[in-house]
Amino acid sequence: MAATFENPADLEEREQMALSTLLKRLGDDEFVLAERYTEWQVRAPSLESDLALANNAQDELGHARLWYDVLEDLGFKERSLVFEREPSDFRHSTLVELPFEEGNWADPILRSYLYDVAEELRLEALEDSTHPKIADRVRKIQSEERYHLEHAQSWMERLADGDEGHERLQDVLDRLFPHALTLFEPVDSDVEADIVDLGLRDATLEELREEWLSVIVPYLESLDLEIPEIDQTDDDKLEVAVDQEMLPDERGRDGGHTDAWFDLYDEFTRTYRELGRSETTKIMEKPNEQ
Amino acid sequence: MIWEVFRQEKTGGYHTHCGNVHAPDREMAQQYAAIQHGRRKPTNSIWVVPRDEIGEINDDEVAFGGTTDRSYRWATAYNTTGEDASEVVESEDEQADAEKRRGEA
Repeated sequence: MAATFENPADLEEREQMALSTLLKRLGDDEFVLAERYTEWQVRAPSLESDLALANNAQDELGHARLWYDVLEDLGFKERSLVFEREPSDFRHSTLVELPFEEGNWADPILRSYLYDVAEELRLEALEDSTHPKIADRVRKIQSEERYHLEHAQSWMERLADGDEGHERLQDVLDRLFPHALTLFEPVDSDVEADIVDLGLRDATLEELREEWLSVIVPYLESLDLEIPEIDQTDDDKLEVAVDQEMLPDERGRDGGHTDAWFDLYDEFTRTYRELGRSETTKIMEKPNEQ
Repeated sequence: MIWEVFRQEKTGGYHTHCGNVHAPDREMAQQYAAIQHGRRKPTNSIWVVPRDEIGEINDDEVAFGGTTDRSYRWATAYNTTGEDASEVVESEDEQADAEKRRGEA
């Protein structure tokens, strides 16, 4: 079974579904987050922070492209994955689709932190993927992701140091935390089980979420931030019971999205539609041809 | 706070001034410099230096190179045979070049 992913054309339906679901989770998160990040272009607090976030957005778009490219092995086309796709078919977490609070720099910073820790953990869980292309691309992505996390943490620590910045971070955390939990929600629980059974990823969503909480909770607490709705029963051991009530109404992964997503989708597909396009413009070689 | 940025292209090469970044401290300055100055050109290493820490003397304060004629210091002031060792020829070329550029400055 381990070698079957070498030849995507030979895959059975169940394997195809597991692979495409995993790749949509990965690619859609990166793509939509990058779309949102670019809204800060020329609006960030300084030229430097503007460039840093724009750089991160470019990285995320590059990563989305790597994952969408693997999807193309299964017969998908770029236009059907991005510009002509039903918005409800996107599998990203609601964390990445929410609009930023206008002018609140703590929002992209904290969002980036919550996301990039999860990203780091899930990439680790893909390092030994049975799909050789996935394992190979993970390494390419990891070095760029390290910068994103350092960038977010540098800012977090400096914002948390002042009263106003701290208050803003706490407000943003209260708003974003439930949405961050959707990062670990299933698209479909059977398919999610297949992703792990087939060795595409070696950790379950629950395991990733536990790991994520064990990283972010102590860090946020070290900045005197309170994690909403988390009861810690034992000081030594983190026992966080995430129940369904903590999650937002829309989970993203299952195709349920907030209204803001449909507006964003209209926006980034507008030019494609207005120009009456039926193909995407190709300006770069496919990633594996580089 | 302004940090001057110096970029080195290859190991062993000079760090050459390439611009600056605004940042509250060294750590942020390093992060910003990596993006602003190390993203599009080949980069092996970057230095960030607080602008205030740089000592400067300029042309108004110092007569760089002195004011009297010291052309005797230049190998190009002497007649050579044309059959000198390659090291001498190279050194002469370097000096001729330096002299030329000194004249342009």
